[in-house]
Amino acid sequence: MADLAELKSMIEAALPGAEVEVVDEGGGDHLRAIVTAPQFEGVSRIDQHRLVRAAVKARFDDGQIHALSITTRSQPAG
Amino acid sequence: MAVDPGLKEQVEAAIAQNPVLLFMKGTPEAPRCGFSMRVVGILDQLGVDYGAIDVLPALQPLREVTTELFEWQTFPQLYVNGDLVGGCDIIEEMLESGELGELLEVEQPADMQPPEAERILPGGSQTSPPMQLG
Repeated sequence: MADLAELKSMIEAALPGAEVEVVDEGGGDHLRAIVTAPQFEGVSRIDQHRLVRAAVKARFDDGQIHALSITTRSQPAG
Repeated sequence: MAVDPGLKEQVEAAIAQNPVLLFMKGTPEAPRCGFSMRVVGILDQLGVDYGAIDVLPALQPLREVTTELFEWQTFPQLYVNGDLVGGCDIIEEMLESGELGELLEVEQPADMQPPEAERILPGGSQTSPPMQLG
């Protein structure tokens, strides 16, 4: 069972200034990370997702998470 | 990681030869995964011509190849003009924003919604994939 708070802090550590929400969409193994980060500005969606996945790679590698859906937004202007 | 060099070449060739190529679980006619089915549904609704490769017969070796080539290990994966665009999440986001129609150079119906994942065929017999790797 994944630790949602830990995933959130791993993503925040990798993307300083990011606004991160990690939610369990059912059963503890369908997770979604919603990430708004200044680092996403000018970056393709696939690379935005790569950044988020890279941040939590250790939890994929040790099998704590199997599926992570990702929603990314670049920092809202202003 | 010991990537099969022959398989890697086949993957690169398939991506180079198909302007729009979907690596998926199952076939467009008989998807074996809800996410693959959703991307197939979107491409079909947009009326795009695309190649499809069923990854299930060689799932792990293909994961290793796409991880090495594109840092991406989950399927489905949609490639357009040689670039990995993304999986189901990204395709659906791009559909909603209208970017997908632009990328694929097709008119995107304004009211088009991602299809619901209800049409998966559970354990049905597998038809031969449009293209076979491995």
